[in-house]
Amino acid sequence: MRAFTAVMGLALALGASLMASTAMADITVYSAGPGGLIDKLAKGYTDKTGVKVNVFQATTGKIMARIESEAANPVVDVLISASWDTATDFAKRGWLIAYASPNAAMVPDFLKNDTAVAQGISALGIAWNPASGTPRPTEWADLAKPAYKDLVTLPDPAQSGASFELVAALQARNGWGLFKDLAANGAIVAGANAEALNPVMQGAKAAVFGAVDYISLAAKAKGESIDVIFPASGTVIAPRPMMILKWSKQPDASKAFIDYVLSDEGQKAVAATYLMPARSDVKANRPLISDLKILPVDAAAVYGTRDTTLAEFAKLLAK
Amino acid sequence: MRRDVKTGGHGLLGWVAGISLSVIVLVPFVFIVLQAIFPDLGRGSFAAPLAHLGRTLADPKLLHLTGNTLTLGLGVMLGCTLIGVPLAVARALFRVPFALVWDVLFLVPFMIPPYIATLGWIMSMQPRGYLQQLTGVNLGPLLFSVPGMVLIMSLNLFPVVYFALSRTIEAVGTRYGDVGRVFGARPVRAFFRITLPLATPGLAASLLLVFALAIEEYGTPAALGSRFGFQVLVTGIENRISDWPIDLPGAAILSLLLVGLSLVAFLIQRRILAGRNYDTVSGKPQAREKRALGALALPVSLAFALVAFLATGLPILAILATALSKTISGGLKPSNMGLQNFVEVLANSGGALQALVNSLSLGIATALLAGALGAITAYAVVKGRGRGRLALDMLAMLPSALPGVVVAVGMILAWNQPWLPFTPYNTPLILLIAYCCILLPQPVRYASAAFQQIGDNLEAAARVAGARPFTVFRRIMLPLVLPSLITSMLLVFAVASRELVASLLVAPVGMMTIAGFIWRQFEQGSVGLGMTMSFIAIVLTTLIPMLLIAVLRRIAGGRFTGLH
Repeated sequence: MRAFTAVMGLALALGASLMASTAMADITVYSAGPGGLIDKLAKGYTDKTGVKVNVFQATTGKIMARIESEAANPVVDVLISASWDTATDFAKRGWLIAYASPNAAMVPDFLKNDTAVAQGISALGIAWNPASGTPRPTEWADLAKPAYKDLVTLPDPAQSGASFELVAALQARNGWGLFKDLAANGAIVAGANAEALNPVMQGAKAAVFGAVDYISLAAKAKGESIDVIFPASGTVIAPRPMMILKWSKQPDASKAFIDYVLSDEGQKAVAATYLMPARSDVKANRPLISDLKILPVDAAAVYGTRDTTLAEFAKLLAK
Repeated sequence: MRRDVKTGGHGLLGWVAGISLSVIVLVPFVFIVLQAIFPDLGRGSFAAPLAHLGRTLADPKLLHLTGNTLTLGLGVMLGCTLIGVPLAVARALFRVPFALVWDVLFLVPFMIPPYIATLGWIMSMQPRGYLQQLTGVNLGPLLFSVPGMVLIMSLNLFPVVYFALSRTIEAVGTRYGDVGRVFGARPVRAFFRITLPLATPGLAASLLLVFALAIEEYGTPAALGSRFGFQVLVTGIENRISDWPIDLPGAAILSLLLVGLSLVAFLIQRRILAGRNYDTVSGKPQAREKRALGALALPVSLAFALVAFLATGLPILAILATALSKTISGGLKPSNMGLQNFVEVLANSGGALQALVNSLSLGIATALLAGALGAITAYAVVKGRGRGRLALDMLAMLPSALPGVVVAVGMILAWNQPWLPFTPYNTPLILLIAYCCILLPQPVRYASAAFQQIGDNLEAAARVAGARPFTVFRRIMLPLVLPSLITSMLLVFAVASRELVASLLVAPVGMMTIAGFIWRQFEQGSVGLGMTMSFIAIVLTTLIPMLLIAVLRRIAGGRFTGLH
C-alpha cells in the first residue's frame, strides 16, 4: 500500500506543480479565434497596464457551452465572440454592462451598441484554388455550373453564424433555387470553416462557397494557392462583438481592455490577422466593408426562422 | 480460511476504490443526470424539470443517430476482431519473425489522435491527395463511406484487441492446448476448444472496450462522417453543445442514451463471463515455449507488415508529409518540402513548448493515478466480495460510455458550484481529474482480465502462510498483473497527453495543451503547423514509454513480461 500512496502522492504533486504555473489572473477573457490575435492583444494590454489577462480561446460554440455550464459561478470578464448574435442574446438575458469606449468613436454605428462593440469584422467569400484547373468564379451561382461538378464545399451553417446568415440572405433574395443547383452539382457540407477549406487547399475540391475570408487570406499570405473572391451581387459580414459581463469583478480593467483593443495598436494587431479593423480610420491590407456589397440581413427575422431554414438546408444538401 | 478475514482486506481496498471513483466518476455523472432532468441547472435552478425530455426524444433524427451509432460500434468490433484476433493468436502461440517490431508498431496507433489519423487518411486518399499525387490512384469514394469509416476506426482500435488477447493467450500458454493434444485432440481442435475459450475474458473485455470506444469516438465521425452525411450520437451531442443555441439538457439526455448502449454491452460481457472459471495462472511453473511457424513464416510476416503499414505507417507518413510541406496546395514536390514548420514549433511559436510540457506532465500524472486506481478497483471487483462489486465495476465502466465533451460539461457543472470551499476547477487539477475519469476504464479492464486469470489458491496459500491482505495484494497479486497494468498505463499516458475534446472545454484559462495547440492551428488554417505538433507529440508519446519499458526490462530482467 505504501507504493500506492507514493504513486498517488507523486501524481498529485505533478498536478500541483502545474497548478503553480497558473497564477491568479486580473481579468479573464474568453475569445473566439484566431488564437494568435488574442494572445497578442492580451500581451499588449498587460505591457501597457500591468494587469494580467488570462485567456480561454475556443470556437464560439465551445465558449458558449462553457459559459452556460459556469453560469452558477461565472468567471469570465470580457467575451469576444465570432457572431454578433451572441451580443444580442446576452443583452436580452441582461448579462452585459453598458460601455461606450472613447476609442469607439471611429467605429461605424452599425458595429456597436450600448453593450457591445466590434473587435474586427470578417466577411464571407468564395475561397478558390487557382491551381484547381477550374475557371475563376465571380458569382455565387457560378459554383453551381458544370465546371465545378463535385468540386465545391460549404461550411455547415449550423456550426457557423456567418454561414447561416449567408444562406438566409441568399435564400431571402432568390429562394432555395441556388442551393438546389449546388446540391445537384455535387456540392458537400464539410464541417466548420477550416474543414471546408482544407480539401480546397489540397485540390480535392476547387472552391468553398462562403468561406470566412481572413483564414483564407492568411493562408494565401503564407503561400497557399488560394484566392478570395467577393461576389459583386453581395455577401454578408460577421462583426465580432466584444462584451463585458455584468458579473465581472474587474469592470474597470475590462473596460480598459476594450479600450486597448480599439486603440491604434490593438486595431493594427486585428488588421495583421487579415480581419477588417472595426475602426474605419485604421488601414488594412485587404478589401474593406466599403469595397464590398453587403446583403441585407434582418437579424430578428432570420434568427426567428433559424430552425426551419437549417432543416430545409440540411434536406437539400443531404447533410 | 475464514471468510470475514478475507473480506476485511478487500473491504478496505474496496472503500478506497469506491470513494475515489465516486469523486472522479460519479460526481460529474450525477450532474449530467441532473442536467438531463433540470434544464436550468447551470444557473443553479431546479425549475421546469424534464421540460426537454419530450422534445429531445421525439426528434425523428434520434432513431437515425442511434442506428448509425450501433452500426459503427458493431462494425468496428467486427473489424477489430478480423484484424486483431488472427494476429494476436499468431503472436502468442508462435515465434513470429520481428515480433518485437510489430508490437511497437501496433502500439503507435494509440499515440495518434484519431482525428489526426483520419485527417492523414483524408489527405492521402481524397482526390489529388498524396496517393493520387504519387500513384495516380484515387480511393476517395472508398474512404468517404461507412465501410471506409469502419475500416479506419478498426485500424486505429484493433491494437486494443491485439494486445489484450495476445497477452491473455500467452498467459494461458500452449500448455493447456498441449494437454488437450495429449488426449488426442488435433492442433486446430485443441486451439478452438481449449486455448481460445480460456482466453475469453481478454477477448470479451477488449471487444467491449472497442465497442465503447467506437461509439463514443468523436474525431473520426466528425472529420469523415460530415463529408457523406453520417451522423452518430456523439456528433449529435457535440452539435447540441457547440451550436447555437446551446442545448445542454438535450446533450445530457443523448449522453444517457449512449451510456445505456454501453451498459447493455457491459452486461452482455458479464453474462458471458459469469459462472465460469478462467484461472490459468497457478503456482505451478510454466514453460513458455512458442512453436515455430515453419513455411508460414513469410505469409504471417507479410500480414503483420501490411497491417502495421496501414495502421501506423500510412497515417504517420501522411502527417509527416503535411508537416514538411511548405504549403498544402504545393503538393509533394521537393521544392515544396522544408523544415520551417518544425523550426516554428521549436521556436515556441504560439506557446508550443509549454503545451508539450503541460500535456506530457499531465499524461504522466494521469497514468500514475489512473493506474493505481485501476489496479485497486479491478482487485476489489474481481477478488473482493460483497454487494458493492457490481456497482464498482459499473462505475469504472461508465466513463468509456461518456463522450469526452459530456464528461467536461459534467465536471464544470459539478466543480464550479459557488458553495464549494475548495475546487479543482480552473486549475490543472481539473484536467487531471477529467483525464482520469475518461481513461480509468483502460487500466480497470486490463487489470480485471489479468486478475481473472489468477487462481484464488495463490492468494489463499499466501494467507495461510500468514501474509496480511495488503501484503498479499502487494507481493503476490500486483506483480502478477503488473505487465497488463503497465501496458494500460502507457496507453493512458499516450491518450491523456493528446486528449482533445475535454481539454478544449475544461482547460483552465491560460493553459495550453498539445491538443489545444493542434486544434488552434487547424482552426486558423495552419494545417502544416498542426500536423508538425502532432508528429512531435506522437514521437514523444511513443519514445517515452519505449524507454521506460527498456529500463524496466533492464531492472526487472525476465520478470517483466509486458510488451516483450
